Amino acid sequence: MAINFRKVSYSYSALKKNKKVKFAVSDVNLEIAEKDEFIAIVGHTGSGKSTLVQLMNALLVPSLGEIDILGTTITPHAKVKLKPIRKQVGLVFQFPEYQLFEETSLKDITFGPKNFGIPTEEAIQKALDVARLVGLSDDILKKSPFAISGGEMRKVAIAGILASNPDILILDEPTVGLDPFGKSELLKLLKRINEEEHKTIIIITHDMEVVSQVAKRVIVLDNAKIVYDGDMKALFKNDEFLINHNLDYPEIMKLMRSLKERLGVDIDIYQYSIEEAYQELSRVLGD
Amino acid sequence: MNEKIVFGQYYHTDSWIHRLDPRTKIIAVFLYMIALFVVKNVYLLGAFLLLALIVITTSKVPLIKFLNSLKMVSFILLFTFFFQLLLRKDGEQLAVFSFNMTIINALLIILLFILYFLSRRIIKSFRVLLLSIVLLISFYIQIKFDFSYLLFTYQVRIFDSGLIMSLYILLRIIALLFISSLLTLTTKPTDLNNGLEAILKPLKHIGVKVSTLTMMISIALRFIPTLINEAEKILKAQASRGVDFKEGKIGAKVMQIISLLVPMFVIAYKRAYDLADAMEARGFIPDAPRTNINLLRYRTSDYLTFGFSFALLVVTIYLRIFYAL
Repeated sequence: MAINFRKVSYSYSALKKNKKVKFAVSDVNLEIAEKDEFIAIVGHTGSGKSTLVQLMNALLVPSLGEIDILGTTITPHAKVKLKPIRKQVGLVFQFPEYQLFEETSLKDITFGPKNFGIPTEEAIQKALDVARLVGLSDDILKKSPFAISGGEMRKVAIAGILASNPDILILDEPTVGLDPFGKSELLKLLKRINEEEHKTIIIITHDMEVVSQVAKRVIVLDNAKIVYDGDMKALFKNDEFLINHNLDYPEIMKLMRSLKERLGVDIDIYQYSIEEAYQELSRVLGD
Repeated sequence: MNEKIVFGQYYHTDSWIHRLDPRTKIIAVFLYMIALFVVKNVYLLGAFLLLALIVITTSKVPLIKFLNSLKMVSFILLFTFFFQLLLRKDGEQLAVFSFNMTIINALLIILLFILYFLSRRIIKSFRVLLLSIVLLISFYIQIKFDFSYLLFTYQVRIFDSGLIMSLYILLRIIALLFISSLLTLTTKPTDLNNGLEAILKPLKHIGVKVSTLTMMISIALRFIPTLINEAEKILKAQASRGVDFKEGKIGAKVMQIISLLVPMFVIAYKRAYDLADAMEARGFIPDAPRTNINLLRYRTSDYLTFGFSFALLVVTIYLRIFYAL
């Protein structure tokens, strides 16, 4: 297992005896494979999602328990080199456009790889590769990161993490604030990286559309604890669970459900993409 | 991130000082400070410090909070203390210390310092205290042990005027810090700002835009925690890109700082523009006459404090002029 949480808790305030502290993440056991996983972490604001992913690339060190990250064990007190972990597990923060600072977008993309000790020439080559992958034109690469649009800035920021060639890619709310086109483009990109390069991708999202479109596995956090960890398709079939944890259905499922009720036909409402829904509808209504 | 960042040192309890009008507190502290600089006599200065301590005990704020403010300047305090003590050479000679520096002594002292620097990794707090203990022991070794292999000897003479001057400076700075901490510990930043605005109001007649100035101060105070939050986020984001703020050579360090500062500037400007737009959208006009939501009102205790601090200043000036104290 690439990432392995064993009874991990994290609190932003120091642990003290005889004093109750509020845990941002509490007693989490979690296993994540190095390849081919596509995980969506969902949960309400303050449920501990961001804390959980920051534990995954050792930006935060657990208060209790231990975490294995690609062969390195992190315990509350042991001192280990954290930098290699951050190269292997790339974390894209929420609104990553704010982390840009270099003179040109290209330089900004090479900032990460250079920090991880990749020679400049190689870093530039890698940056050009990922820029093509995320769809940034050469024109934009030459511009200052403050002179390009918000969507492009986000692409530059994501490219900046990808250029370090992490084994696992984590994104905190990557689609927030993007227009529908930018959103679907980004999701396609993530899906392609997952399918072609077999990298494990973990995204935090509130958006059930995103979950249903890309995720294979879903982790639901509620009040610092993991309440669901399993198959995406199974999650949306568990009506009672979704209601209990205030989670929404994807739009496509809502549409299928209302079609079923209005038309009174027997259709399978659990469809996760437009194509699937179309096929199901044509199966039932086609003749 | 979730830890609430509280700016300023305001310590929330309920005491008569907390309840005083901020204007009273600002003016009283100001008067006390002037009096502190008028005093020339060490014993009188001691009395001033005692007064500050008495007021502090009635404020119900733990003494440790005040000592914390001392901790920050403890190095400068010790430095000036010893500087005055050792370099003033007039008046009556009080004591002579002769030091013998031998090779063995030197080795012992070096060993002691190595131990100190090793202990720094483990002991995080009270470093200044530890350093002063180490220094004290190393001087003690030089006085006490007189081994062979003498390298050189030297003498330190202490004179009474040096002792008095150094005590004088020490007492004055401590009193100054205590009384100003008392103001910030017992007054919320917003109240402080309101008080300042009220006090500076008369300057409006000579064209100073007091309300704009205080508005700027309160906005700046308000945004410190927000910006600290943002800075934390940027630090983490850059750490994910391999920036290790704890290590690196000078060149790398500069790059690390730039990678924090540039985004912070961008964020600060963006926030400022957003706030300006939001204020304008809600009809904010700079310098328009407006009333304050929290009306400041003087009470009996305020008048008493005023009277007392004013009397204090008058008495010190009187003592200075007629008795040269």
